[in-house]
Amino acid sequence: MWFAHGRLLTVLAWVALFILPLVLSDWNAALFAQYVTYGIFALSLALIWGGAGILSFGQAIFFGLGACSMALVTLGKLPLLGDSAWVGLLLALIIPTLAAAVLGWILFQGRALAGAQLGIVTLCAAFVAEIAARRWDFVGGFNGLFGIPPMTGLDGDILSGFATSYVVLGAALLSYLIALAVLRSPLGTVLAAIRNNESRTAHFGYDVRLYKIFVFALSGALAGLAGALFALQFGFVSPTLIGFGLSTEALIWVAVGGRGVLMAAFLGALIVRSSESVLSSALDQYWLLALGIVFVATVVFAPQGLLGNVLRLPSPRRFATPKKLEEKSRSVGQVEPDAK
Amino acid sequence: MADVIALFLDTLSFTLTLLLVTLGLVVIFGMMNVINMAHGEFFLLGAYVVVVVTGAGGSFWLALVLAPLVLAFIGFALEWLVIRHIYHRFIDTILATWGISIALKQAITIMFGPGLQSVPNPLPGTIDLAGIEYPLYRLFIMAMGLLLAAGTYLVFFRTPIGLTARGVIANRAMSASLGINTRRLDWATFAFGAALAGFAGAVMAPIMSVDPQMGVGFLVPSFLAVLVGGVNSLVGALLGSALIGGTSTGLSAYLSQADTQILVFLLAMMVIRFFPNGLTGGKR
Repeated sequence: MWFAHGRLLTVLAWVALFILPLVLSDWNAALFAQYVTYGIFALSLALIWGGAGILSFGQAIFFGLGACSMALVTLGKLPLLGDSAWVGLLLALIIPTLAAAVLGWILFQGRALAGAQLGIVTLCAAFVAEIAARRWDFVGGFNGLFGIPPMTGLDGDILSGFATSYVVLGAALLSYLIALAVLRSPLGTVLAAIRNNESRTAHFGYDVRLYKIFVFALSGALAGLAGALFALQFGFVSPTLIGFGLSTEALIWVAVGGRGVLMAAFLGALIVRSSESVLSSALDQYWLLALGIVFVATVVFAPQGLLGNVLRLPSPRRFATPKKLEEKSRSVGQVEPDAK
Repeated sequence: MADVIALFLDTLSFTLTLLLVTLGLVVIFGMMNVINMAHGEFFLLGAYVVVVVTGAGGSFWLALVLAPLVLAFIGFALEWLVIRHIYHRFIDTILATWGISIALKQAITIMFGPGLQSVPNPLPGTIDLAGIEYPLYRLFIMAMGLLLAAGTYLVFFRTPIGLTARGVIANRAMSASLGINTRRLDWATFAFGAALAGFAGAVMAPIMSVDPQMGVGFLVPSFLAVLVGGVNSLVGALLGSALIGGTSTGLSAYLSQADTQILVFLLAMMVIRFFPNGLTGGKR
């Protein structure tokens, strides 16, 4: 029974992640922090994809917007807001959320776009955003924005790679818990219902559109957070961040890790990114070829991803059968939520 | 006057080129309900077949015949290896073909390097059209676009195979129970769609910069053309190509290339938003 181990393994994975920076060198801890940042981005995608069945090819729009907001504020390009990283973080949460809400409203109002149409339209949106970012000098144009000041501690000193990794890990754990709370709440059950059969859910009287816009906006906020952390760690923001390349890369992480389970998607990003840095020097050009083939194989033969079944959590307690009924239900058949 | 004719010719040329690329997509999507994200790479492979054949001293026209054959085989192999396992999982076909596209693009980069390959123009020279010197080869591409569209139309609407195929599109389960081998039709369709893409790539090779990124540039406009026009009909593909091609060339006369692209994409997104089944799809 893999299911029974899901909770234990998830907790163990988090403990391991928090111990890991202790044994890494400062350089590697900084590198690890970058992967965790991508992990937060993967979480945001898994929230809408695994949670509500929205396959978006434009998730990097919100990542890029978060990175841009952070860069613009900390570089002092928005004089009214000052140049504090905290204001930058706030803006990096607000702007992607608003953008996601507006895009979500366009996509899901009325007869919602789904499947192929949704995929292609979000793909186009990512293309448009990238071209627009290249053309707009305020956000750095073709070259992007440089010289973003790195993270500082409360005393104003620049954080070491070790400290950065804990800041990012804290943000990741917080994002994970928020996303998990949403998906395991009754709200998340409605989202799962939308994923399994949208018109049935609508016929039950749920305003499907509002639920989807809400989860889309929340995932935009998480992606924006990841973008802001990215900007602080790398010190530059280029137009490619906002586009189609990073969006599809994130899709690969989530699909390889496991689209239906948040922790699996998060670890998927960490695994793919870290094996890329280890293997890309050994395999050279063959790395991308191998990644493509692994991706296809996962999609075809392991649709739940490499870790999806291992890290799947038991259903929320709400679904547990009361003790008295348990005897009866055993003869009728167990409650199997999310059988798909 | 000359400007108007030039604009008209450019529009027609872009439309028919787009149609040439779109045909394979429509065939695969209409028949199998598979969104083939690797279509751009099939197109790319067609162009590289020309690079290889002309590089080895063969003639361009030989390459033009070989490219669809090679791609038909690749399409068949990929259908057998990957696509047949995931027909019933619609979203996964998008992802799997996307993975295929990454792998194919990288395989080409490994074999040929990331740089530009050039293919000599087999029909140099221009022709005088109502006072405008127009490149001969562009006319050839336009003719090929028309010819292939007409050919596909004839195959689908005037042959027994086409009748069978349309039967499967209309009702797969019913056709299967009437004794039609839908499996065979599926791989044949995928191979045919891949061959169409390969031919398009081969035809376009002499006038394009052949490099590994070439496929992506065509993928998005041709997807938009398919969705704008309507996914299930060849007429829709023609209409979509004409609309995308027309607005692109029309706008690019006044705007920069990037701004044109932004505007066309946004317009197309709006059309898809309000007509999810495409302009020929009608209301569901």
